[in-house]
Amino acid sequence: MLEVFGRHPFRAILIWALLLVVVPFLPLDDYVLHILTLFLIFAVFATGWNLTLGILGLKTLGHHAFFAIGAYASALVSHYFGVSPWLTIWLGAIIAAIAGIVIGFPILRIRSMPHVAIVTLAFAEIVRLVLSNLKEITRGELGFWGIPPFDPITIGGTTVQFGLGNAFGSFAVAAVMFVGVHLLLLMLLKSRSGLTFLAIRDGEAAAESLGVKLAAWKLFAFGVSAAIVGLSGAVYAHYVLILTPTSVAGPDMLISLLAMIIVGGVGRFFGPIYGALLLTVSSELLRDFGDYRMLLYGALIVVFVFIAPTGLAGLKPTSWRKRQEAASKPAEAT
Amino acid sequence: MSGTHLIETVINGLISGSIYALIGSGLALIYGTTRVLNFAHGELLMLAGYFILLFAVTLGWPLILAAAATIVLIMVLGALLQRVTIAPLMKREDWAFSVIAATIGLSIFLQSGAQLIWGEQYQGVPYFFHGVAVIGEVRMPWQRIAILVVALLVMGICGLILYRTKLGRIVRATAQDAEAALAVGIPAGRVHTIVFAISAGLAGTGAILLSPLITVNPWMGVSYLLKGFAVVILGGLGSFGGAVAAGFLLGLIESVSVAFVPSEWSNVIAFAFLIAVITARPEGLFAGRGA
Repeated sequence: MLEVFGRHPFRAILIWALLLVVVPFLPLDDYVLHILTLFLIFAVFATGWNLTLGILGLKTLGHHAFFAIGAYASALVSHYFGVSPWLTIWLGAIIAAIAGIVIGFPILRIRSMPHVAIVTLAFAEIVRLVLSNLKEITRGELGFWGIPPFDPITIGGTTVQFGLGNAFGSFAVAAVMFVGVHLLLLMLLKSRSGLTFLAIRDGEAAAESLGVKLAAWKLFAFGVSAAIVGLSGAVYAHYVLILTPTSVAGPDMLISLLAMIIVGGVGRFFGPIYGALLLTVSSELLRDFGDYRMLLYGALIVVFVFIAPTGLAGLKPTSWRKRQEAASKPAEAT
Repeated sequence: MSGTHLIETVINGLISGSIYALIGSGLALIYGTTRVLNFAHGELLMLAGYFILLFAVTLGWPLILAAAATIVLIMVLGALLQRVTIAPLMKREDWAFSVIAATIGLSIFLQSGAQLIWGEQYQGVPYFFHGVAVIGEVRMPWQRIAILVVALLVMGICGLILYRTKLGRIVRATAQDAEAALAVGIPAGRVHTIVFAISAGLAGTGAILLSPLITVNPWMGVSYLLKGFAVVILGGLGSFGGAVAAGFLLGLIESVSVAFVPSEWSNVIAFAFLIAVITARPEGLFAGRGA
């Protein structure tokens, strides 16, 4: 448990929340807020995927499909039916969850990791192709534009605007989602459900012999994971306001998110957050060298798998604490 | 569908199927012997495409020489890939996912690397065989017929090696039980390297046959990788013969489906078929003996 969550997980979330409250008051330009907004959205995406990939131990490779489903479902409904994005993002999450449970069924029948990886990958490819082929509805690879941003909110006389160009509002939405999702997920994982997930990861047969209903729990985890990823996709859609099937469900999205999770730490609760932060910021710094971004992601995945398979989150606890203890001792002496 | 059209559909299905079979059987060979899913397999295909472009077009070597050089070079690269990246990871407890992750990373690294070195443009390789074969009312370019013939020939040779030679027996023994093979004096590690080399050779053959038809570009391996994996699963994970059969089946399904739905839906049908098969028969359609 300690290994997965670190020492004080709730305190860590509180610290993140405080940091995020402080950020808008810092003298940062809109561009920095934009990068941080993307980081928060991708961190939620990565955390949702990590639930099946790392915490449940099912090596799924198709979660970018749920991101795309959440994004397109919310975008299409709000565009065509004029429903407020504040409502349609939940619809996106629910539809993604249903898709997650549906694709969960074939996976229940499979125990071999390669099968799971390929089925989920094939599923994501189907989703991408369907989105790009339904041109009358989604405009295919030309891109679906005209997605409404979140409706403005008026609190005590000040109106908060959302969407690109309104950096503060979008950052606030992403930050609330980030804190909310991580807090709720941590509460879920710290309860009996979390223990059950870890038991399934560490030994399916043993867990089953102790009365854990494997099928139901796996479907539940798939649903929750897909819902989180779908929600992040929906918020992304109403932030960037244009979607193409390749940008949300293509191989680049798979690689980017996989890199975030692996660099951060597969199966560590906070790992994907670190990974998302590091990679979102570094890929922005590399913006002028656009072609090198995927080269960097590929190289990072290989390097971390070889040198630090537990990721950034796995590196910290021992070495950091020891260094802190070492640093604090002379301080006490004075 | 007229008779001529039907025959053409079937032949076209067999031709694209033979490429799927070349790629899938290589992946199946690797999976059968090492339980590794090699996500960088598509990039071996891509690199072989650039090699044949270099030798046959830029340097203007005769076709046979260019093809031989490409195959040898790509087999060496395949062996190197296994030695440098996969063999060290196999010693780990969680190697199954480590290898998947590392080969995915390598795959994207090679794609972006190729893009930086050779640029984004799609480069054409001229047809190796000219003219059109006319049998009755069926017309088929010789280049496409050559794909089918050469692919069958190469896979036939691989099948003979696997099932009729001592090397093949060694490979199959390692596939059944690597530790037991080691116990009777088979160097399992070296066998794994050989299998990767053979598999790379099969992908290289596919690349040579394909390059005049689809042009060489950094992403040419991507779509074939997923098709290759589909073939591996449909054929029963790890079965060489099963993968060959499944490759042709997948090609036929695609070409026949094009007769009924717009062609951009054919991949949707192929992958939906894959998921349906896994749900109904997780052991694959042609499950049998390993390797």
